[in-house]
Amino acid sequence: MNSRSVGLGEIIVSRDPEDILVAYGLGSCLGIGMYDSTRRVAGLLHAVLPESPNNSEPPSAKYVNTGIRLLIEQMKLAGADMHRLVIRFAGGANMLTTAALSKTFDIGTRNIASAHLTFEQLNLKIAAKDVGGNTGRTVRLYIVDGKMTVRVIGSQEKEL
Amino acid sequence: MANQDKSFNEKLLSYLQLVVSEGAQGAARGFSGILGQNLTVASPSVRTVNILDIPNLLGGPEKEAVGIYLRAEGDLSGQIMLIIPYEKAFELVDLLLGPMERTSHDLGRLERSALAEVGNMTGTFFLNAVASMTGLSIRPTPPAVIVDMVGAIMDIIVATTGGISEHVILLGTTFTYGDREVEAEFWVIPDTSSLETFTKPN
Repeated sequence: MNSRSVGLGEIIVSRDPEDILVAYGLGSCLGIGMYDSTRRVAGLLHAVLPESPNNSEPPSAKYVNTGIRLLIEQMKLAGADMHRLVIRFAGGANMLTTAALSKTFDIGTRNIASAHLTFEQLNLKIAAKDVGGNTGRTVRLYIVDGKMTVRVIGSQEKEL
Repeated sequence: MANQDKSFNEKLLSYLQLVVSEGAQGAARGFSGILGQNLTVASPSVRTVNILDIPNLLGGPEKEAVGIYLRAEGDLSGQIMLIIPYEKAFELVDLLLGPMERTSHDLGRLERSALAEVGNMTGTFFLNAVASMTGLSIRPTPPAVIVDMVGAIMDIIVATTGGISEHVILLGTTFTYGDREVEAEFWVIPDTSSLETFTKPN
């Protein structure tokens, strides 16, 4: 097996059954996975911020709203059918629980809201999610069978 | 935000080096006063690093670490994060509380509060030194202690600076107390408006 790290603001799409796509240590970021079981193609997005600030910037995987669309495009290029996509995502934690600080910075909650809105606009259903709270997560997507797992500190991987 | 990288010019860095050295010395004096023994803070190395490189400096994004986070507010604003690998955090706690028998390897309330105090003192002394040097009014918020994966802790900075190609100022330093040493790294992330203030030093 070959772990491939999906960094901040990156997308990796793969058809290699040996690949495991991993987004390590997601805090407020979102790890958004898509899988087409018929074509055995999967992709993972590691998005940082909820929305692209303006339309003049080229679409970027840094943002949830533009990243999701870019991921879908790349999945299609790799042969996936948009309507077969199994969509799961995890992350969006609020890492600062101190009352004075958390309100200002709750990017996690805004990232989750942006993902829901974007999928709604695209008429796509979400199969599973593990979001919010205040702990970091590592997300893995196994190309071989499309299994997606979440791990938090001090525990084992759990299937999403 | 996109202008932030451009603002990290040579002149700014050398000025920050000065301010930050003074700040670290201030923090050391403060600690020594509280501990009643001479605690020294090695003159910190100041460099800018790409925020994406930080997880690797700390052993990878999934590595467990302790982050002590506070914001600076006032005439100058920004964020300060003290980040310590999990094992090192215990050493720092021992340094402050004295070594004691530990039944578990968790950071309990006492340990967390000691670490928050480290952040509080470091932040306060650091900011006081910066304030006295610049003549500006700056105060720290109460610190938050976060025990989690490096990547997740880093998200706080990534999300608030709004960028992923941004550079942050990384201060590497070593606390020495008697024959004990604990290495720690601070990140100081001035808000963009504050960088502009820094580029026009009096």
